Amino acid sequence: MNSTALLSAAKDGLLTGSVYALMATGLTLIFGVMDIINVAQGILVILGAYLSYALQVHWHIDLFVGLLITIPAMFVVGIVIERLFVGRLKGPEKTAMSILVTYAVSLLIEGALNMIFSVNDVQLQGWYVNRSFAIGSIHFGYIYVAGFVLAVGLLSSLYYMLYRTRFGVSVRASLADQTSAALVGIDVKRVSTICFGIGVAVTAAGGMIYGATNSFNASTSYDLISRLLTIIVLGGMGSLGGAMIAGVGMVFIGDMVGVIWSPVWSSMSYFIVLAVVLLFRPQGLFGKQAVRVA
Amino acid sequence: MLEKKNLWWLLGAAALAAFPLIVTNPSDTSIGVFTLLFMACATSWNMFSGYSGYIALGSSVFYGCGAYTMALISIHAHMAAGAAMFWLVPVGGLVAMLVALPFGWIALRVRRHTFVVITIAVFFIFQLAAINFNFTGGTSGLALPFIQWGFSYYNVPFYYVALGLVIFVTFVSAGVRRSRFGLQLLAIRDDEDRALGLGVKVTAVKIAGFTMSAFTIGMAGAVYAMFIGQIYPQFVFDPVFDISVALMAFLGGLGTLAGPLLGALILEASQQYLTVSFSNGSLYLILFGALFLIVIMFMPRGIVVYFKERVKRSAATKVANLAEASGPATISSAGGAPS
Amino acid sequence: MKISRKYFRTLGVASVAGAMSLTMVTASGASSGTLAKGAPVKIGISLSLSGDFSADGQAFQQGYKLWANDVNKAGGLLGHKVTLDIKSDASSPTQVVTNYQTLISSDHVNLTFGPFSSLLTLPAAKAVSRYGYAMVEGAGGAPSVFQASLHNVFDVALPVANSLVPFANWVSSLPKAKRPTTVAYVTSNDPFTQPQIPVAQAIMAKAGIKAVYNKVFPSEVTDFTPIADAVAAAKPQVVILGSTDVPTVSAFMQAFEQSGFSPKVFIATAGPDQGATFIKAVGAANADGVMVPNSWYGLAANPQSKKMVAEYIKQYGGTPAGVNADVAEAYAVGQVVAQAVKATGGFDNAKIIKYLHSGVSIPTVLGGAQFNSLGENPKMTAYTFQWQGTKGNRFVQVNPLGDPNTVKIVYPKPVWGK
Repeated sequence: MNSTALLSAAKDGLLTGSVYALMATGLTLIFGVMDIINVAQGILVILGAYLSYALQVHWHIDLFVGLLITIPAMFVVGIVIERLFVGRLKGPEKTAMSILVTYAVSLLIEGALNMIFSVNDVQLQGWYVNRSFAIGSIHFGYIYVAGFVLAVGLLSSLYYMLYRTRFGVSVRASLADQTSAALVGIDVKRVSTICFGIGVAVTAAGGMIYGATNSFNASTSYDLISRLLTIIVLGGMGSLGGAMIAGVGMVFIGDMVGVIWSPVWSSMSYFIVLAVVLLFRPQGLFGKQAVRVA
Repeated sequence: MLEKKNLWWLLGAAALAAFPLIVTNPSDTSIGVFTLLFMACATSWNMFSGYSGYIALGSSVFYGCGAYTMALISIHAHMAAGAAMFWLVPVGGLVAMLVALPFGWIALRVRRHTFVVITIAVFFIFQLAAINFNFTGGTSGLALPFIQWGFSYYNVPFYYVALGLVIFVTFVSAGVRRSRFGLQLLAIRDDEDRALGLGVKVTAVKIAGFTMSAFTIGMAGAVYAMFIGQIYPQFVFDPVFDISVALMAFLGGLGTLAGPLLGALILEASQQYLTVSFSNGSLYLILFGALFLIVIMFMPRGIVVYFKERVKRSAATKVANLAEASGPATISSAGGAPS
Repeated sequence: MKISRKYFRTLGVASVAGAMSLTMVTASGASSGTLAKGAPVKIGISLSLSGDFSADGQAFQQGYKLWANDVNKAGGLLGHKVTLDIKSDASSPTQVVTNYQTLISSDHVNLTFGPFSSLLTLPAAKAVSRYGYAMVEGAGGAPSVFQASLHNVFDVALPVANSLVPFANWVSSLPKAKRPTTVAYVTSNDPFTQPQIPVAQAIMAKAGIKAVYNKVFPSEVTDFTPIADAVAAAKPQVVILGSTDVPTVSAFMQAFEQSGFSPKVFIATAGPDQGATFIKAVGAANADGVMVPNSWYGLAANPQSKKMVAEYIKQYGGTPAGVNADVAEAYAVGQVVAQAVKATGGFDNAKIIKYLHSGVSIPTVLGGAQFNSLGENPKMTAYTFQWQGTKGNRFVQVNPLGDPNTVKIVYPKPVWGK
């Protein structure tokens, strides 16, 4: 195949991968601070996408403008889930229980979405969704570039928050070691709740971009969450930088395999890469070495 | 106490055995077959994941391998459609065990949280392989030799074979629990590093447990393939199966013997009845999720453990009340320590 | 212990005897072909009302209901009113098997109609055949369904593998100067779409049209952009897309537009046949020139079809071109069974199966239905349709050439995005 095909695939991988990186970062943040595996992250992305859809179809609000509403809305959803269900989990089985609890929550949301929006596939529309500009023979779709910019912007804000604010210091301390953080007076509970909210809020943005570039319905969440989980494990659970690199890397590899070999093996390459990396580095690319869990 | 417990088990087994003789409606016995298969799988899953604490969400790999083994052999060996195909059921289990060995070897090198995700990843590799390779029939799946038993008794042989699987795996699980091997698994659950320090060959034990749990699940998959007569990759390698099996064990009581059986009975039977009664699939999802949440929040250790503790607590309270009534407190209430 | 063992054994024997007598009663009930006077005839159907195939499932439901209404208005089947017992299977084969067993043994339906999709038809047909019931269906047409050689399956719709033949013949028949030289085959790995590609490819390769891209993509893909980009990079003049629904086609068209790519000829195996849903998804201007193979469309000249379309619009609104082909397929299923019931004078499934295998041709909204020994309907004509016009889109028949209703094909297809 020609160079146009290869460069196109590379471009697709980088642009789309940034959005996956954004969603995965939220997920890994939640795990790092709270030891919670939020299996509902997939359906929450879809919920964010449906919110954008509802705003656009019923009130004709542009997708990007709508983010001003959906991001805070999803933040609140995250807080509610944490307060009601996730935050009550404690004890040595916490992580395993969190998988079940968040799965149950995802079933509820999936059923509700099916009832409200029906199971027919939808896709977010906008004047920019079909347009593109060209650099040489490679075409860059407006929506993909916008998604990339948005993802980079949000991730940068996240990093700013982590490294330049006091709250960020508390988060990083909790990420490193919850017990010690509590010992030095950090309100780990409050940090946890807010981090869960942040982790979910990013799904609003991820969901909007995802919904504009894919047709989706509630059951699309299963494929999404399995990709997100493999991304955070590859990157190292609890490592934000790892999630970002793994997110972009996975999609990039998948697209390159699709164009060089066949799209049929794109998805499989994801999982094979994961299995191979874990063989040599069980903690993921940037994860911490496993230690005795209290 | 021992006698009484055994009587309950006997009654349960008798009730299950008598079921198809009393309830002959094929749609009910059909639900019965699926329920029994899930009971066997949940117990088998619990035998490793419950005892060792390593939650595996890729057990569907074994189910699918068993199903495809049954299908591929019966088709390529041009087997006559009928009872002879039941001989392939243990073969399906063996193939699943063979797959579990390398699967376990890769997956069990990592710690618990990562283990969960890597089982999911391996599962998807298998599902995608089944979809995309030619010998598995791709998305068209495989059609098994058509068994022409009459409708009134078609389900019954499958029901009893599935019941046999349940009895088999329950015995094995009970045996493991009482054995030294079982103790080693429990030790790994409680504190893996300490177990390692005490000389337990942790990796070998984990792989052995994982492989053992694959056997019955593989057999269940083979029975399923024979029962439905047609398998598709996305339905025998099904992520919902993975979660369901784990759920059933959790619901009933992780690490207990009766727990997975009870959990599977409740969940599978209610799921089938709900789907038939509530034609609207979405309502059923909401109900399912809500039921689930309620159970997890209020009975986090599972139904069996919850009731056991209540019984113990009420017995202890009775003893304490008796002691108070009869004089100065000399008997301390034996708070029900969790098993 | 001895006493209890003997007790259980007696209990066991008694229940087996009881069960056997029960089954004898139900057995005789299932195969009798007669109904009490005035009793309604119940037809059992499992449909995908939720899950992956729900859009088609719902269209099927509309078709079945329309048929039942018409039959009842004309006095019912042999004087018995028709009632439909529809259960949802959530597009799952396990549920389909349970559903049909429930329909037959608990609800005591007299006849069964088919579910939607080749994936569900096979397990359903096997379950139903154990009771001796016929399964007439309108959408499970993949070769795998007929390879199982089930005696009781009858598919009224066109066998899928030959759908693209008229289209491929047309492209090959163009004069050398106008004929395209390159083609891309991109298909979902679905038993409905994949068999169509090699058939079309063989015809086009003989005419010297080179395949510059020929890949399969997994059916669960949701982001088609990388695949569409790869197709666009190969710059084919003809694109044959093996798709199963509107979202896939619209996603490809969108991605092609973004890449600045517009082929001279574009045909998709499913999606553009879904009428108004398709236009809404891709936009009126973009639909111009897009082709799709099918065995029916809303403006078909068949008088029965016209009547059905008029009734459909009266009940559900819309335009003739906007009527989903699934509706007609479901309606045709009802018509075939009604004719078989009339001809055999009752509801005996064994007689119905024998009648349908007898080579008789039954007129339906889809045309004449005549089943071969496998239950396929091979004489069904394969048409190709094209959307023409940018504002009032007309969905017209452009193949087979030489057919009186065929209209001139718009070639090359107008460029997208202009």
